Amino acid sequence: MDKIFSGKVWTFGNDIDTDTIIPGKRGTIPTIEEMKKYAFELLKPEFGSTVQPGDILIAGTNFGCGSSREQAATVLSHNGVRCIIAKSFARIFFRNAFNSGILLLTCDGIQDVVTGGDIVTVDVDNHTVSANGQTFTVGAVPENLFNIVANGGLIADTRRRLAEGVQPSEPHELDYTARRKKGFTMAEKLLRKNAGVDEVKPGDIVITHPDMFMIHDIYTPYLLDTLEQIGADKIADPDKVTIIFDHCMPTAVAKNDSAHYDAGLELSRRYGIKKLHIGEGICHSIMHEEKYAKPGCIATATDSHTTTYGGAGNFCSGIGTAEMAAALITGELWFKVPEAIKIVLNGHLPDGVLSKDVILKILGDIKADGGQYKSLEFTGPAAHEMSMMARFTVANMALEAGAKCGLFEADEKTAAYYGMPLEEIDWVCVDDDAHYEKVLTYDVSELEPQLSCPQGVDNVHPLHEVLGTPIDEVYLGSCTNGSIEDLAVAAEIMKGKHVPDTMRFIVVPATNRVFKEAIKRGYIKTFIEAGAVICHPCCGLCCGMPYGLMYDDERILSTANRNFIGRQGTKKTLSYLCSPAVAAATALAGVVSDPRTL
Amino acid sequence: MANNFDTLLTAAPGSVVTLEPDYIVVNDGVSYLAAVEAKSVANPDKVLVFFDHNVPTGDPEGARVFGVIRDFAKKFGCRFIQAQGVAYQYMFKEVVLPGQVVVGGGSHSAIFGANGALGFNVSPLELARVLETGKYQLIVPHTVIFRVEGKLKDGVSMMDAALTLLKNSKCVPGSIVKFVAPALSAHEKSVLCSMACGTGAVTALCVEEGDTDRVLDLSTVEPMAVLPCEVRSAQHMAEIRPVAELAGTHVTAGQIGGFTGGTIEDLRVAANIIKGKKLARGFRLTICPATSADYIAACEEGLLELFIDYGAQISAAGDHSVVRQGAGVIGKGETLVTTGLYTYNGCMGVADSKVYTTSVETVACASFTRTL
Repeated sequence: MDKIFSGKVWTFGNDIDTDTIIPGKRGTIPTIEEMKKYAFELLKPEFGSTVQPGDILIAGTNFGCGSSREQAATVLSHNGVRCIIAKSFARIFFRNAFNSGILLLTCDGIQDVVTGGDIVTVDVDNHTVSANGQTFTVGAVPENLFNIVANGGLIADTRRRLAEGVQPSEPHELDYTARRKKGFTMAEKLLRKNAGVDEVKPGDIVITHPDMFMIHDIYTPYLLDTLEQIGADKIADPDKVTIIFDHCMPTAVAKNDSAHYDAGLELSRRYGIKKLHIGEGICHSIMHEEKYAKPGCIATATDSHTTTYGGAGNFCSGIGTAEMAAALITGELWFKVPEAIKIVLNGHLPDGVLSKDVILKILGDIKADGGQYKSLEFTGPAAHEMSMMARFTVANMALEAGAKCGLFEADEKTAAYYGMPLEEIDWVCVDDDAHYEKVLTYDVSELEPQLSCPQGVDNVHPLHEVLGTPIDEVYLGSCTNGSIEDLAVAAEIMKGKHVPDTMRFIVVPATNRVFKEAIKRGYIKTFIEAGAVICHPCCGLCCGMPYGLMYDDERILSTANRNFIGRQGTKKTLSYLCSPAVAAATALAGVVSDPRTL
Repeated sequence: MANNFDTLLTAAPGSVVTLEPDYIVVNDGVSYLAAVEAKSVANPDKVLVFFDHNVPTGDPEGARVFGVIRDFAKKFGCRFIQAQGVAYQYMFKEVVLPGQVVVGGGSHSAIFGANGALGFNVSPLELARVLETGKYQLIVPHTVIFRVEGKLKDGVSMMDAALTLLKNSKCVPGSIVKFVAPALSAHEKSVLCSMACGTGAVTALCVEEGDTDRVLDLSTVEPMAVLPCEVRSAQHMAEIRPVAELAGTHVTAGQIGGFTGGTIEDLRVAANIIKGKKLARGFRLTICPATSADYIAACEEGLLELFIDYGAQISAAGDHSVVRQGAGVIGKGETLVTTGLYTYNGCMGVADSKVYTTSVETVACASFTRTL
């Protein structure tokens, strides 16, 4: 790759999410060559057919936010895009783009002087971009990342390393005493423990050996393909790998899903991966249910909501397929040590107000990019009062603020859930003398239920502003709010009652374990008698699969984690997010309702 | 209206009768077009509008259709029913009484014959006329009577008997088929009647007695399968063969559901077969309880838990015989064996896939052998 190059410009605004880059429903097309035609299909329908190799994208803040789908980067790369300039990038997209061989440059200013079709010139060594006679400074690119781009992306780079005979390195974790050293954020503690590095500070790159890798079925064909391209005949440690079929299982999109199923089985067979969960529920819920993601450890997965297990004090963050392939081979994964924001939760949650309301309130306050590449670290009495499931809900949605991870302190509840001695994990806590970029303090006693409104997760309004809005469909489920506790909250509200005849009410327990417990406790019967349709545990409608897709101008209210345009139906479908209590109350009334006044 | 029922059964074959149906059924399957066509509704009290196919909606089009039939029901004051499972089965169990006449837009409307009622399948356009007038006119068919004798062998079900009838009796088009079958259970009767129109019959009815030479001898019935066929319009001509002749055929997925596989009686049979067995690696089994009542019963009898532990995927109660997009579809080159009612290319996924219809027993066995 030349250090000075020019290209024709495509311009974009702020918060371009990965669903906009490549819609979720296109994300399972088995080949990238076919998929790439649909890049930006809703926003710029002409893009796929007219983009030329060497074209440069210029965008505002938070480019590539939302789902971690690596295809957002690979479809651009396969369309010949080699450089994107933006005010800021979402963190998973940042990794994925470099790994796909796209140079990302941060620049604030050039956006004001170019329009689509202009020519921009990039000078990598001088850190400048220029267009229309004006020159702007861009952020520096670390040498190792530029090399990945220059070598044609992570796949080519790993192939080269493999050819040179790279062997997985041995992990060297910090011992009991060293990991208890004070003065660090929780993210720093978890990274330094795993990486075996005594001193870390934000911005450092550390090489970790994750304790668990998880692959879900959206990515099985691409991962298999990537491992083949690299020429890997074995992976570092199959026992540290879990494969979970949850997005495409039950197979529901006929032209795609069976290929994901077959590829998952083949990955398991070829690389000796024995932790295999086929159609048993949502990956993130299974990861903590099966105790695969443990407190004090590091987990990574091919999904953005990997942040979930942070609820148990596990450092966990999503990565793309190419990166997963490389990491499976080498056993290593680099992380940039994130800055951290401390969030102190005081008071006691009132009846009818749940942890979902807490995280929605925070998202509304700090916005979708407010936690960009940061560790959100939760502490305070209300955080400790939360059950494990409630914590997983919060950590799961920390991602929606762009966070690298969302971490809770390991306490007695954590130790009990995992059946571990507390003294083994109690070092996962907030230190008074740690450096936090910012501290946010909330008194949750005063909180009312919150809703994320159309069309963005951070468009959060308190319930009283949305009361009475007619709703066509209510969806209870997802890795955010599909636990037995969530179903219990809803079942208690709905027992003996019935939704309006025209209300579509869909319940999807998070996992088989939750499903069976809900059957045992009579919740499933309660929901069916209330007029619900029950689906097998899976990601379902949350990720836009065919479990209640909506039409133009219809309104859906769900307990899931995303309401991006087009995700739950057409681009004119209006999507709301809320707690299971608000969902149950609303399903019964047919309009947005307050669970506290039922 | 008992008179309607008697009128039809006593009138001379070939004469024209006008019936006033007790129930007129519109659903989100093919017959939803009747809701688009009908400009008025003569007797809203007699009209039931079901959303029971695309459950939960597998595409925005499904949600649009939901809106169309919901608004139709509201506009004309008809009852709208959803989240109850397959309409046929729900009506068979909860609604239709002996002596009643039901007109709808589905090829298995004859199921109500098991209740001693008559069900008719009409085109969406004709259904729209029936909605507007409250009347259904037809030429009285001749009657063909079968005596159902003998006892099914172990591992053979009434579905196999129905398929045997279809294979051997394509000679009764345009008739009313009566089954003299006093020994059959209500569920067995419903399977037999619901499938009977595959012979070309107009409708079917179970009766206590009748004189006939035609015999359906259950003791000679073998497990049967409907083979894949090209297009929906050729479904009635799809080849039917004994499963034994297809033995060894490799299958990748199975579906047990609908009124020929998803009733509580069927689910008990399936549970008995798979108990203690292991789902074959690489085989996907979908279980679709027929109605919400069947779903709850399966919960309470511990059947769902057994299916879940076996590795089956439990679908929403509903009519999943034809699925464009939704749980349980199959992909390129795959083969599904189902208790569903269609085997045309693409009825359960991509065009480049194969579907066989068999009994619950045959599907359940395939789930641990991966073969027919």
